[in-house]
Parts: sequence; C-alpha cells; structure tokens
Amino acid sequence: MQSSEGITELLIDWSKGDPVALDKLTPLVYDELRRLAANYLRRERPDHTLQPTALVNEAYLKLVDQKNAKWQNRAQFFGVAAQLMRRVLVDHARHHQADKRGGADQQRLSIISANKVAKQPELDVLALHEALEELTAIDPQQGQIVELKFFGGLSIDETAEVLGISHATVERDWKMARAWLRRKLE
Amino acid sequence: MTPERSQKVKEIFQSALVRAPAERSAFLFDACGGDKALRQEVQSLLAAHEKDETFIDSPAYQVVAGSLVAEKPELNVGQTIASYEIISFISRGGMGEVYLAHDTRLGRKVALKLLPAAFTNDKDRLQRFVQEARAASALNHPNIITIYEILEANSVRLIAAEFVEGETLRQRLSEAPPSLAESRHIAIQVADALTAAHKAGITHRDIKPENIMLRPDGYVKVLDFGLAKLTEPRESGSEDATRALVKTEAGVVMGTVAYMSPEQARGLQVDERTDIWSLGVVLHEMLAGELPFAGETKSDVIASILKTEPAPPRHFNEKIPAELERIVSKTLVKDREERYQSARDLLIDLRRLESPNRRQNENATQILTGRPTLGAAFTEGIRKHKLSFAVALSVLLIAAIGLGYWFFSRSAPIESIAVLPFVNESGNSELEYLPDGMTESLINGLSQLPKLSVKARSSVFRYKGKQVDPQQVAAELSVQAILTGRVVQRGEDLTLFLALVDARGNQIWGEQYNRKLTDLLSLQSQIARDVSNKLRVTLSGADKNKVAKDYTANTEAYQLYLRGRFHQSKDMPQELRKAVEYFQQAIALDPNFALAYAGLAYAYAPLSDLSSLQPRELMLKAKEAALHALSLDDQLVEAHTALGYILFEYDYDFARAEREFKRAIELNPNDSDAHRAYGELLTYLGRREDSLAELRRALEIDPLALRANCEYGRSLSFARRYDEAITQLKRTLELDNSYWLTHYNLAITYNMKGDYAESVTERLKIQDLFSKPQTAALMRESFAKGGWQGFLRAMTPKQLPPNVPLYIAATFHVELGEKDKALAILNQMYQDHNYDLVMLKVDPRLDPLRDDPRFQELMRRVGF
Repeated sequence: MQSSEGITELLIDWSKGDPVALDKLTPLVYDELRRLAANYLRRERPDHTLQPTALVNEAYLKLVDQKNAKWQNRAQFFGVAAQLMRRVLVDHARHHQADKRGGADQQRLSIISANKVAKQPELDVLALHEALEELTAIDPQQGQIVELKFFGGLSIDETAEVLGISHATVERDWKMARAWLRRKLE
Repeated sequence: MTPERSQKVKEIFQSALVRAPAERSAFLFDACGGDKALRQEVQSLLAAHEKDETFIDSPAYQVVAGSLVAEKPELNVGQTIASYEIISFISRGGMGEVYLAHDTRLGRKVALKLLPAAFTNDKDRLQRFVQEARAASALNHPNIITIYEILEANSVRLIAAEFVEGETLRQRLSEAPPSLAESRHIAIQVADALTAAHKAGITHRDIKPENIMLRPDGYVKVLDFGLAKLTEPRESGSEDATRALVKTEAGVVMGTVAYMSPEQARGLQVDERTDIWSLGVVLHEMLAGELPFAGETKSDVIASILKTEPAPPRHFNEKIPAELERIVSKTLVKDREERYQSARDLLIDLRRLESPNRRQNENATQILTGRPTLGAAFTEGIRKHKLSFAVALSVLLIAAIGLGYWFFSRSAPIESIAVLPFVNESGNSELEYLPDGMTESLINGLSQLPKLSVKARSSVFRYKGKQVDPQQVAAELSVQAILTGRVVQRGEDLTLFLALVDARGNQIWGEQYNRKLTDLLSLQSQIARDVSNKLRVTLSGADKNKVAKDYTANTEAYQLYLRGRFHQSKDMPQELRKAVEYFQQAIALDPNFALAYAGLAYAYAPLSDLSSLQPRELMLKAKEAALHALSLDDQLVEAHTALGYILFEYDYDFARAEREFKRAIELNPNDSDAHRAYGELLTYLGRREDSLAELRRALEIDPLALRANCEYGRSLSFARRYDEAITQLKRTLELDNSYWLTHYNLAITYNMKGDYAESVTERLKIQDLFSKPQTAALMRESFAKGGWQGFLRAMTPKQLPPNVPLYIAATFHVELGEKDKALAILNQMYQDHNYDLVMLKVDPRLDPLRDDPRFQELMRRVGF
C-alpha cells in the first residue's frame, strides 16, 4: 500500500475536484475495504470484539496521517471517505453484476455459506445506490445520513458530528430513510 | 412527491414510531385526517420498518463482505472435475476453497474441498493426512463429517465430503451468540466426536469455531480431522517451531493461535488433551462471548496462552452455572497432566449438567463438598458388583412369571395387566433409566406369557411421573390389574416395592425387597423360591427361557442398552443419535448382545427419515445391525421387525419384508410394533383392508401408541378416506401434540383433500417442532401472498428449502403440472433408495402421473 501521506494528498486533491486523484485512490480504498471485509469475515483479530466504527476509524488512521494536519477536521475526512467508499462499492457491484451476466444464470454464492445466502440474499448495492439517489433528491439530509452511516460505516454520533445536527435528528431520519429504502428495494 | 409532502410523511412516520404499535393505527387516522393516500404511504413505511430492523444497519463493507472478498475461485460453476460437477462456490479459508458439487455417479450433493498445492507437495505428510482423515470418517460418528473420497484430478488434490447444510460456529458467534443451553449442546456434540476419534487414536489438533458446523436441526459436525497433519510445523519440540508458528502469516494456516494449547504453542508433541484445551477455548468463547486468551499480536496471544489465567466465564454472564464454569476451567489448565485427561470425562461432565431435573441443592452440595453424587456412588457400586444388576433384573422377571401364573390360578383369572413405570425414589434423576429399564424388561417378559395381555410401553409410560389412581388407570387402559413399583437406592442399599392392584383399587399382592447390592447374587434364588412357593406353579423350561431370557451377561452392557432404549423411545433425531451411541457402547462391551444390535437397527432406520444424514449409509448400517442381531439370535422379534422395515423402505423388497413381519408376529403375537410395521407395508402395497386390520391389532395391544395411531391415520388417507383420517389424526394429537409425524400425516391428508390452508398450518407446526424458522417464514409468506400456487412455487426452487423432503417437492411439482420435474426427482430418489418412494403406488397426489409411461417404468423398477 502506498504511504499514508500519499493517500492524504490524493484525498485532498480529489476533494478539490481532481479526477486523476480519484483513479489513483480507488484501488487503494478498494484494497482497504477488502481487508476490512476479510477481517470482519474471519474475525482473526485477537480482539474480535472491535466495533465496526472502530474498524473504520482504523481505516481513517491508515488513510490519513494525522500529524499531517491538512484536513480541516475529522468530519470533512469522514464525508469524503464515505463518498469514496460508496463509489468503490458501487463500482465493485457493477463489475460483479457484469460477471454474473457473463456466467449465465448460475448463482454465485457468497463466501459465507450456501445456506446463509439462501436465507438472506446479499444486498443489491446497485439497486440501493439508485434508490439512495432518488431519496437524496427528495430529502438530501436523509441521503447524506445513509451515505455516512452505511457506506462510511459511521456511528449515529459521528454522523451527527459530520453533519452538524443532533443525535436525535440523525436517529429519526435514519429510521425513516431505512424504511423508505427497504420499501423501495422490495 | 413535493418536499412539503415528504416532510409531512416524515413527521407522521416519526411520531407514529414513538407510539406503541397497537396505538399507531388510531394515531394515523387522526394525523392524516381524510388523506387516505398519506395514511397508506406512512403505513407502508411503517411496515417496511417493522419488517427488518437490521436492514443496512451494519456498514456496507460488512453487508457485502462476501462478494468484496471473494476472488475468482479456481473452479467454475458448471465445470466437472473427476465425477463432480461444481454447483457453486461456498467458501475460501486457510485450507483452500470449498465448493458445493454434484456427484454425478451417486447423484448426491457433496462439499468439495480443494487443497492448496503448498500443502500437498510433501507426499509423506499427504499420506498421513489421508490416512487420518479416512480413519476419522470411518468412525461413522454422527458428529464427524463423512469423507467420501480423497482424490487427485487435473493435478489438484480434492476432498469430497458430506455436504452439511448450516453455518459454522464462527458465523454463528458473529451473528447471534448461542444461548447457555445451546453452547452446552454444541460442546457436548464436539466432545462426543472427540471421544470417538481419540478412542481410535486420532487427534484433531485444530478445534476452532471454523471447524464446527451447526446444522439447522441442531446437529453439530466437526470438520477437517487430520487436516492439521498437513500444516503443523515439521520439527516438533524445537524453538524454531514456535517461532515459525508465530511468523506464519494470518490467513495462511495458523490464523487461529487463539485456540492453540500451551503445548502446541510451545511446539511440543501434542496428544488428545490438546483437543480438550481447544474445545475449552471454544466453550469459553461461546459462554463469555470473548476469547480467554487475547492479545494485540500473535506473540501476545501465545504469551497469554502460556501465562495468563483467563477471566472466569461467570465474570461475563452470571447465569453460567458454577459447575459449568468448573468444567471450562478444567479444560483450560495449562499443565496438561492437570487437565481433563480424556474427552470422555469431559463429555460425561457436560452431559451430567444437561439433566434438567437435577436438584439444585444436590448440585450445590456437590460443588461445596466435592462429594460424588448418589448416582456416581451407585454406578460405582454396580461396577464393583458386576452381574448383580442383571441378576436383579432376572429376579424381577422370575417374579413376573410367578405373578402371571398366579393370575391364572385364581378362580377368575386376570387376563390383562398394565405395569406402570416404576418410580425412581432415589432422588437422583441420573438414575431414571434404571426404574424405566426395570419396568420395560418386566413388560417385555410378561408379554411373552400366553393368555396374558400386557399393556405396551408407550401406553403406560404416559403415566410416568404422574400421581395416578390405579383404579382410574385400570379403567383407562381396560385392564384387570395394575402393577406398580418404587425403587429406592441409597449407597449400597437397593429397595424395591411392588404392589398389585385390581381394577376396583384393592391391593391383591404387595412385596418389599430390601437388598444390599453385595447380597443380590445370593438373594436371587431365595426370591425366586419365595415367589414360586407362593404361587405353587412351576414353569416349563421353555417358557422360563423365553420370559427370563438373558441377552447379555455383562451388567454394564445391559445398563448401556437400557440407556439406549430410554433415548430411543423419544423418537427425535437428537435422542436417536444418543441411543445409537449407547447401543454401540453396549455392543463394544458385549459383541454378542443381540438385543443391542436390534436396538441399533431400530435407532438407525428412523434417523434416515428424521434427519438429512445420508439415508443410504444409515440404512446400510441399520441393515447390517439387524442381520447381525439375527445371526446371534434368530428368535429376536425386534430384529425381524427392524429388518422388515429396512427391506421394504430401503431395498423395496416387499415380499421378503412381509416374511420378516410375519415371522416377528409369529414369534410374539402381542408385539404392537410388529403389527404396526406390517400394517405400514400393507398400506403401501395397497392392501387397504389388511392394512387397517393389522394397525387396529397394533392399537388393541397398545391403544396409546403414537406411531401406530399415526400410521392408522395415514393408512386411512391412502385409502382416500380423508375425513376419517383427519379424525383419527386429530385424536392422535390429543395424545401428544408434539409428535412431528402426526402433523406430517395431517398435512398430506389436508393436501390430498384440497384443504390447503389447513395443510400449510400443519406444515408450519412441523417446522416449529424442528426449529426451522426460515422455512416456516417462507411457507407462511408465500401462502399469504400467493395462495396455494404461491406456496407450491416457493417450496420448489432448484435448491429446496431446508426440511422440505424430495418426495414432497415431487408431489408439489405434480400439482403445478410440472410432470417432468416431478419425474426427475422421483427417479433421483430411486437412485438414492429413498424410503418415501414406497408411497408411489397408493399416493393420490401422484394420480396425474399414472398414465405416463415413465412413471409406470419407475413403478416397475421399484417393484410394484
């Protein structure tokens, strides 16, 4: 993996609208997400009670050299990181779907187990992404909350911090957004 | 939708959520005024909210972790390797990739594991692994995964193993940690597997949650026996080995140092006590929700394993019994000499905990003082006085003969009797099998007497543990007399009280036997003399032999057999499995114990229809056991009956099955099971009247026998007398509404009758009994949404939902008009010797197929 300083620069560049930075960032974030996912699945960490947010915070530490305080604040970083994670995951899902189409109708089972997939099909990230865009058009704040909390892996408190709104508001809007998306995806 | 509108929806939705669900509807009416569309909008959002509160609650990378991590697997779906066709990719772990595959030769699903080349280059190691994996599989233990084949194809090494539906304990731990009872249940089954493996000299070396599969029906399967042989460091006992371990990268092999025993971490030679340790770590993790030994890095974890005393599980959960905590700590003693020395000891301790009737205070006393329980003392006593137990039973039997003849000597002879379950007054539920076993032996003995009708086990055991009025029982069971008994055992003293009461409630005979365990041998003749003097009858030698037959001279084997019977009588997979184990142990002690073989055959056979274990293998084992029993004793009614079952359900050899049943009935015309089994065969042969007559006979002998009542109902269904069948089956439910087979028969009867809602209701009850909430939910929803057609569709996807038998799926395809699919399934079932095919001839649901030449061909092949 590239040095964290490099990533920090890239993130800053991207947040300023540099499209080349994105191309460079994507594989890095993708790798990081895969590592997190693998950790999550294997739970190989000696301390496997780590909370998801802690893992994302860990990603944060990895991605950003804190001493290099070019970020205005944590909130800004989380906002950009969540956006990026969403992009990467959506790209991944798109890719995946293309694979599936190529492989005729054979269902690819997840790593978890055949049985588990049968009872709970893996979330259709593309569909969620599209629904989220629709939701954002109706209620931008709800859209942001979902992006931060779901794609960015933030807690309610962190989401509140990033958006500068109260915990209670995030919680209420989150419930609403989730119900809305759930219904949309049916 | 306008922003204003959406704001309004949001406000009402959020206000509704604050209210109790029951009040929401009224609130919505109020809040939305006359705006019906608004109300519906909020309502549908509320419904979506209620439906799944976990939706996207975890971060995205977790929700899609599976596909995120999955790389392109080695093998492609649809590809064939050796005789295996890849159906899907299942998982990837340190030890390679696992696929779900279809064995094209045997037509079954298998789990196909691809071993990474890195582990298979060393031929010696590979050889050791192959040997050990095969040896473990050959144990045929229900908690050890069966390996079908280890092969090399396209220059890769493959293991084809039993496909286990379910999840690993690791997945389970990350979703919903198991409850106390489940944790114990899981640990017991793993300990059971280890006991068998260790006995055969096989150490697992890598027990961890990833290697423990949990099936939805509660079975636990231990995976990857022998696999550690491929991966452990070459040089044992050196410092290098330890360092090599620590250095090994995560995810390669030794990703699981946390479960390693101290001796393993040190790189020392390991033995079975290492498995005990690792199981202890797993148990601790299940109970406490945390690993006992943790650290930032692998070296830290190892240091903790070697040095730290773990926090006791009760620290995390106060509900954990002290005794269980003691067990955990005894598995995690760093010095292996101080640890449990055998998995069997651990198993026994875990099992002892399991007994729910165990008295609290007794438990406490034991822990405080460390004194052995009465049970232990008794078992010890029995061990000291081998034979005396068997003798005690013979005494009972002889007393029974005496009683029998005494009845006949009276002016108005007693021709029917019920022996109520002897009451265990020893204050130790561990000993429950003892009075139960005595009762049962007495019933069996008495039932051999000519001209005496003795109520069968299932009819009398419903009174077990209840305060009963003998007069009332006599009326209920229509018998002329009731025999009751109480067994008290204190240390070396065994007391048996017997009482015989007539139908009017008068005691006609009573006797108290006080014996020292040590004196039992010498007392035998005295009691026999007393009884025969009293009755002034002498038995012919033949009768005496028949009634008081000694099936074994080995007391322990007999005890184990009784324990097996105790579990077998419960007729659920878990119990049958235990029964199998006890019968096997009994046989190990006395290889000529015919009755135990018959028990084994009996316990195996229904397992094949109760669980998704490989029916073919179970049936073969059952058959082998039945034949062996008969080779030891060709007069054994139970063995003839069991063999008959296997012949018609597995071999489709109806003629020979009929001969076996007839022989069983000839040997004991009062055997309810034999009549019932014969009745079942006749049902499937379409000999309706004969079938109903046999089943009625079974019920005359044993009016409360669940299975016979059930089969009578089924026979009526197949005779297309649906309403009578339903009445009969409902009556059966009154005896016991938790017997799955009754619900099953009701479900198919309603189905045949076209009463679909009722059929679905019964099916849901079965799913509940077998704890399959997913299947139940699928059934409920599909029926609610799409009616019967929707239900049929939902139940017949390519991959059947758990707990939906193939045969049922075939009948559903018929109803959907999909004859080809139905026939494909039925033909596959024929390949698998599936027992359900015996219904082919008489099942009304298959009527639409009867003109089809392919169906006729199948009928012919099955032998109809």
